[in-house]
Amino acid sequence: MIEVKDLSKTYGDRPAIRGLNFTVQKGEVVGFLGPNGAGKSTTMKIITGYMAPSSGEVKVAGFDVFEDPIEVKRRIGYLPETPPVYTDMYVKDFLRFVANLKGVPRDKVTAMVNASLEKTGLGDVQGRLIGNLSKGFRQRVGLAQALVSDPEILILDEPTVGLDPKQVSEMRSLIKSLKGQHTIILSTHILPEVQANCEKVIIINGGRIVAEDSLSGLSKRMSGGGHSVTVKVRRNQDAVAKTLAAVAGVLRVKNSGNFIEVECDGSEDSVEKVAAHVVASGAGLVELQVQALALEDIFIKLTSKELTH
Amino acid sequence: MRAIFTLAGKDLRNLLTSPMFYVVSGLCSVLWSYSYIRALLMFAEKSRMYMQPGQDGGMNLQREVFLMHISQINLLYVFVVPALTMRLLAEEKRMRTYDLLLTSPVSATDIALGKFLAGLGAVSVLTGISFMYSLLTRMVADYPMAPLLSAYAGVVLVSGAYVGVGLFASSLTESVMLSVILGLIFNIMLWFISQGAGTENMPMLSAVLEYMSLGQHFLNFIMGAVKLSSLVFFASVIGLFVFLTQRVVESSRWR
Repeated sequence: MIEVKDLSKTYGDRPAIRGLNFTVQKGEVVGFLGPNGAGKSTTMKIITGYMAPSSGEVKVAGFDVFEDPIEVKRRIGYLPETPPVYTDMYVKDFLRFVANLKGVPRDKVTAMVNASLEKTGLGDVQGRLIGNLSKGFRQRVGLAQALVSDPEILILDEPTVGLDPKQVSEMRSLIKSLKGQHTIILSTHILPEVQANCEKVIIINGGRIVAEDSLSGLSKRMSGGGHSVTVKVRRNQDAVAKTLAAVAGVLRVKNSGNFIEVECDGSEDSVEKVAAHVVASGAGLVELQVQALALEDIFIKLTSKELTH
Repeated sequence: MRAIFTLAGKDLRNLLTSPMFYVVSGLCSVLWSYSYIRALLMFAEKSRMYMQPGQDGGMNLQREVFLMHISQINLLYVFVVPALTMRLLAEEKRMRTYDLLLTSPVSATDIALGKFLAGLGAVSVLTGISFMYSLLTRMVADYPMAPLLSAYAGVVLVSGAYVGVGLFASSLTESVMLSVILGLIFNIMLWFISQGAGTENMPMLSAVLEYMSLGQHFLNFIMGAVKLSSLVFFASVIGLFVFLTQRVVESSRWR
């Protein structure tokens, strides 16, 4: 659906992205991950036809972004970092305007506007001025705007930035509900967002792709297949920590303050054995948590590695 | 085509419902009312004085009243039009809604033309208000309609030129304030370009500058002479500035 080849963009002499290559298949939900200033927004903007690359090419549904921008833009719904809404318009009027602008067939405008109002849960505020809405609602209007032409591709640039936790979770479930209907590229530096929604992750740093894989593949690759188990007990923490090292499958035990960190091989068997051992020791197990190497760790590993090079 | 009218419709509604427009048109009508009625009363007084039996008096409503009214409209428009057009693109940039326009399937030409039509529409409402003065005068005096219509065609064209200029100014900056000032300066430059006309030792340059004189072409219309060269002149000025705006909008794609 989206093919990016050798994409580079420089602002003056400062390179923003350098030789990006990736493809996104139809129906995929791709997380585009990177620290601030990694070149995420630049890439998004080039894919949407907002700006031209310095070199390289982008094809969306077979159309070159630079040669055929109108055809590409017809197929993309874009939510930039700041939702592009007119604060002095009413929600419904605004969506009608966008639908007309995006060339939705005249007889379908009303139906499409209503559909996007419903999808984003804006029905109750459709008659209000956008300027009077909260940040969360404005963000939703921004999403409704991207959805109103029912595009094949949705590009969302940091859709949850600046929202309160409740709004963030609402936004996330909203995005989740869009899965399967559109090809989605979700750019963010917030990791749980990716964990919640995406099948594939592209991590970008300093303008280069540092990893491109499925979520599980990525964590397997980075951790070498291991698990880390945190154990919290009420009594005898030191004694338990010492004996744990002898359990089959345990590679390393670290007794650190409030809890014990146990690193074991990737099998569930070893986790089971650790649990059984702690319970049998009668130390009063209060908490046991299995952590596959979290995306956060991968992210930090990959992005800091790049910087030290 | 549809994109142009969608954009124009939205911006026109936006302009016509903004408090700014009401303040501007309110103040304009106060000024016009004051000086128009004064001119009209003076004209009535004078014509009574000169009205001797068997003498026409040589008085002409068009020249004595309407000309004054229209040059006042023009003077006001130099300042007022940039204030109306200042937000057309600058505000889009400032509010980041420019992103929406640039990622929608519309061309830079659609954007420039849509915005231009919206601006011209709003100014034309103001022109319509000013036209009512002359129209209402018809209730008390009889005068030929054709020269007045020609003069108003001139007003619409000259306001179109100002809108083009204002739109271009607005496309250059994110700041609404700067957009007004730029528009104002460009407008004044348009008027002053013909200052060099009448240079004796360079007849060629003088002729060119005279052709480029906004005032001269406008005067043709006011005097009731619809000349093709004047029509072409206004069309080129408007075309030039809409084209420049289109280039600026387009440039954000490859800059």
